[in-house]
Amino acid sequence: MAERAGHRGYIGARPLNGSRTPQHVQNIVIRDYARRKNLHYLLSAAEHTMPGSYMVLEDILDELPQLQGLILYSIFMLPPDEARRRQIYDRVLREGCDLHAAVEEITLASQKDIQAVEDILLVNKFATIL
Amino acid sequence: MTDTDFLHADEQALAQRFIDDGFVTTPADDRAGLDRIQRRAAELAADYLKLPHSNDPYAMLDTIHTRVSVDDLNALRLHVFNGLNAEPWFRPTYFRLARSTIETIVGNELCMQRRVNLSIQLPGDSSSLLATHSDVWSGDSPFEVVVWVPLVDVHRTKSMYLLPPSVNGEMQDRMASLRSAEELYKTIKPHATFIEIPYGHVMLFNQTLMHGNRVNEEAGTRWSMNCRFKSIMSPYADKRFGEFFEPILLRPATRVGMQYKLPGGFHG
Repeated sequence: MAERAGHRGYIGARPLNGSRTPQHVQNIVIRDYARRKNLHYLLSAAEHTMPGSYMVLEDILDELPQLQGLILYSIFMLPPDEARRRQIYDRVLREGCDLHAAVEEITLASQKDIQAVEDILLVNKFATIL
Repeated sequence: MTDTDFLHADEQALAQRFIDDGFVTTPADDRAGLDRIQRRAAELAADYLKLPHSNDPYAMLDTIHTRVSVDDLNALRLHVFNGLNAEPWFRPTYFRLARSTIETIVGNELCMQRRVNLSIQLPGDSSSLLATHSDVWSGDSPFEVVVWVPLVDVHRTKSMYLLPPSVNGEMQDRMASLRSAEELYKTIKPHATFIEIPYGHVMLFNQTLMHGNRVNEEAGTRWSMNCRFKSIMSPYADKRFGEFFEPILLRPATRVGMQYKLPGGFHG
């Protein structure tokens, strides 16, 4: 089998939790995370600005057999639907890859990591920010 | 069009081509400037590869696949990209390559992307592909245009493809039912046109139209640059003024207008 290329970055053009981060800053955060975790960073793909579109994420998932994993700028870029998220986790792990979120410094590398990620997303859904 | 009486005939023709086809290609306004950029790109590539500077920059770039591996390609690309963008003459020269076309299509008070992008596509390399997209989908304003400049002749898969305006809307309407950009490409493929551009010419295209590239199946390496321009006062999207764009042409009347304050101090 050919050697896998590295970790693909995933940035977005939509606001996250009401905040906007310029795309080049998202890339800096991902690149810094990859450097600190000793991951080989591959140029990021930017998700569409249209609400509800995850077409670019799907392209990265299709690319997983050639990758070691992916690095999201933030864990809150995952789809809001839990069933769809779980399909993504399963696909990542089935392909022998891992999933990282740079802002939150999260690594999802096995089934046991899933609940911690889901807890964060669930709390974020209900907790308010002053 | 409402403004046809105010444009020269050649401007009208250019504007109509842009509206109808989604792109225009023209000879570079500043051919010596383009040759200077090509020569500098070849020098930077040679420096990276620890080779002597070539007397034939076109051949050096077009055959770079014989000297660099896919694994080393991005490092080479970044070396040339950073080297070109570090040259103080580079961005003004890039603008001059297409100035007359930009001014006809966009306007004469302009902002320009802060860094000019560089793409290198080796024959047979699948690692440098740009999936079907519109720049607007990833945060560009629909008021922007792209000036796309090849440093070698490009044709068929050595070039980029663009979806004509006549079918772009219909294809966009189907998009939400598709899963990935690759599925989208398969849908638009019968309508997409690879644009042939000889070295010495530049292209200005409508980046709201779907476009991208495929594996380069031609004999030579593709080298192309791209940079976005927009009218300075037109609406911005996620690629903001200051962080992504910077002003390059601001006219005196606009400067006066932005600084003017009405008389104050009235208490009646």
